[in-house]
Amino acid sequence: MWAAEKSRANPLVPLPATISAVRELTIDVNLFQVQFGDGGGFPYRPGQFAFLSAFGVGEAPFSITSLNDEGGPMEFAIRRVGTVSTALHDMEPGSVLGVRGPFGNGFPLDTFKGKNLVIIGGGIGLAPLRPIIKNALVYRDDYGEVVVIYGARTHQDLVFASEFEDWAAVPGVRLELTVDREGPGWDGRVALVPAVIKELQPTVENAVAIICGPPIMIRFVLAELKAQGFENHQIVTTLESKMKCGIGKCARCNIGEKYVCQDGPVFTFDQISGFLEQI
Amino acid sequence: MVDEIRSKAKELLTDGTVECVIGYERATDGVTARPLFAYTAEEIDRFIMDNTCVHNLARYLLDRKGKPTAVVVKPCDSRTINLLVQENQIERDKVFAIGVTCPGVVEAHWGEASDEAQPRCVTCSLEVPAVYDYLVTMPGERQTRTGFPDLERMETMSPEERREFWERQFERCIRCHACRQVCPGCYCPICFVDQLDPTWVGIRNAPPENQVWHLIRAFHLAGRCIECGECQRVCPVGIPLMLLNQKLAAEVEGMFDFRPGLDAETLPPFAVFKKEELEAER
Amino acid sequence: MSRFLSREALLAWLDGLREGGTVVVAPTLVEGVSLYRQVPVASEIDLDASVTVVSPKEWLFPASHTIFTVERKDGRVDLRENTFDGRAVLFGLHPCDALGVHLMDVPFLAEPADGSYRERRERTALVGLSCIRCRPECFCTSVDTSPDDPTHLDVMLTLVEGGYVVAAASDKGEALLASAKPEEKALSLPEPPAPEKLPTEDLPRLFRALYDDGYWGRLADRCIHCNICSYVCPTCYCFDMRDYPRGNTAERVQSWESCQAPGFTRLAGGHDTRGSKAAKMRQRFAHKFLYFPETFDSQLSCSGCGRCVRACPVNIDIREIISDLKKIGVSSVGSGEK
Repeated sequence: MWAAEKSRANPLVPLPATISAVRELTIDVNLFQVQFGDGGGFPYRPGQFAFLSAFGVGEAPFSITSLNDEGGPMEFAIRRVGTVSTALHDMEPGSVLGVRGPFGNGFPLDTFKGKNLVIIGGGIGLAPLRPIIKNALVYRDDYGEVVVIYGARTHQDLVFASEFEDWAAVPGVRLELTVDREGPGWDGRVALVPAVIKELQPTVENAVAIICGPPIMIRFVLAELKAQGFENHQIVTTLESKMKCGIGKCARCNIGEKYVCQDGPVFTFDQISGFLEQI
Repeated sequence: MVDEIRSKAKELLTDGTVECVIGYERATDGVTARPLFAYTAEEIDRFIMDNTCVHNLARYLLDRKGKPTAVVVKPCDSRTINLLVQENQIERDKVFAIGVTCPGVVEAHWGEASDEAQPRCVTCSLEVPAVYDYLVTMPGERQTRTGFPDLERMETMSPEERREFWERQFERCIRCHACRQVCPGCYCPICFVDQLDPTWVGIRNAPPENQVWHLIRAFHLAGRCIECGECQRVCPVGIPLMLLNQKLAAEVEGMFDFRPGLDAETLPPFAVFKKEELEAER
Repeated sequence: MSRFLSREALLAWLDGLREGGTVVVAPTLVEGVSLYRQVPVASEIDLDASVTVVSPKEWLFPASHTIFTVERKDGRVDLRENTFDGRAVLFGLHPCDALGVHLMDVPFLAEPADGSYRERRERTALVGLSCIRCRPECFCTSVDTSPDDPTHLDVMLTLVEGGYVVAAASDKGEALLASAKPEEKALSLPEPPAPEKLPTEDLPRLFRALYDDGYWGRLADRCIHCNICSYVCPTCYCFDMRDYPRGNTAERVQSWESCQAPGFTRLAGGHDTRGSKAAKMRQRFAHKFLYFPETFDSQLSCSGCGRCVRACPVNIDIREIISDLKKIGVSSVGSGEK
């Protein structure tokens, strides 16, 4: 009559893992490589995320910015902004942290096949897009033209800058960088991301636009893409929302009835058009 | 009396002095009162005013900063306006206070309004609001201030008995923080209990954490609590929070001869430094 | 014939279970406040308790509890899960609270299940008490239960002259009753009371239609976002998880939190997906009457217990909201916006 079986794993309990390497991406963003004791990780898809625990401080969700198919450790690009991210920044290689995941739906890669990709990122929002870019480089023949439009406040806030050259060197891949404010050491474009879309007028036919960035950028980019003639189903975005559990229970991350942790974080514009004021 | 409130309220809406009048209407139990934000004359017709009108409506001024608002205030509630003006939270000229003289309000909880005066009314010395722009008289025989009877009872207890008493109270706290939400003096953008860096109060719902929560909150209100008693009224598990506030109010009054919110001019003791106070300590 | 337990026999049965190692959690008076507590002896149970101030969810989903503890030792991290391996009887649940437990089961046991909740739930038997009277704020018959409904319970008791008629409502309940030794008696059960019936049919559709209505903003005007409704509610299950550090150890604590709390949806950078009073207010009721039924088989996330009605300091009355939605929806007055 009473439960005889031993409790199954509690999805709210993380697995201990080790930081194998840390690389500084910008003044407040570090790239963390994370491995479990056996040197591996769990399989994940582009666009999924995991919770990282700084034991004694707490836990927060971060998108996985590496590509599973490349092998190697899981990578997280983390901006120092809250208590958990600050505690993670204070950690060094060899430190133990907790990992729960992977969570979320990830990008619908199957629907991207054979299409031109317009990848639009703002600031740290490039982190969830990086596996999509890497995927398009690894499986180059699966996709048409790839345009990456990436902006940040200043050129010093552009993350993964050391990889830009490699990305742009691949045939059929274009990287368009922009910054909000000019400054010494930058002779590139100074414009907001929506203005760059307007300027470039990416091909709408057989294209899919994939967006990640701060909510205000997402809103203006959506408007610009619509103006360019993109249909709702051609627009995919990842959303950020406060979350604690990752398994659709704590009821924090929902935007309307969509749970960002389970139904998302990747949504088509069709799915969220009714809730725009809430993102 | 309620007719006077209604006609003044309509006048204020009609002539554009305010956009909203906050008063009372009958609650769904048919017995107690609830706040009503009236934006139209029809809504104003639902206003009531009697000894079940327990809520401190002036607390809502924090939600309507910068928006011209009229609010019905009893004497205790009126002290909120002085407190918030003095602490630069609201602008006096955006507020129209419809003051109501008060013979005391009764213990009113869902479905029942007793004849018993609220503890806060027993200790209240104000019959007329400390601040108002228009005054209405609520009929009824007024109780006189009898000091702090509950507090005096508490003071007869030994420190050990008091500690045991408060541990028993804090044990059942569910940490809903309703006491803070209803308090006109609790308006910090991020309350210390919600701060993570540093973490002042642990997340565990346990007596030590609960005690830290209630005691620090009480100290944050020392010399600021305007004794509306709303924290105690709303507490779902009946913690006698006003005992803490009254203790500190009595200490502040004894030491500095100061009660907050009686006017907007007298600087509160914790906002001024007097050299002789330092001397007195020595 | 019915099975009958005198008041004394009932308490003896519970004390027997307790002495056998079962935790008995039941309504008691704590400083005059009716709350569910683990009782040291059955005679401390308030058998006449109506609806407790805080719901029995306190046992299955405690106000705060430790999921696991980590200890740092010699550069290693040792993680120990907190487990409950005893068994418990949650006693005195009125049918609304039994429905409340079911409505917690639905989200928490949905895969992937919340491990702590599942463990306690599987090891807890529910002993219910049918209602012989109802309160003005009760509306259980509007949300899929009734004053004498044994659904979701393991054992159902009904108060009769001198004691209780006892009936097993599940196999678990039948096994639990093995030690009760009831008498066989010919007894007739009292007529159950009839609580107020509200227009709950079609609520999700009405809610959808009035999702952007100005109604929510006006309702939010008087809300002080005090969280009491969520904390007394048997079906509200929002939670927080934070660490509680102590020296070399740290506990990961899961605790109640309310969708009304400041900062509930505020991100580290400051962005808030439900920053306005109206958005907060709508979330509470949309979760109960729209999101939950759309996610979980059309069930409303409300047990009809009326606790929030009684406890709200500013009379935000869920029954009035249900009626208002019906009224506004039917008359299609539109926004009623301010």
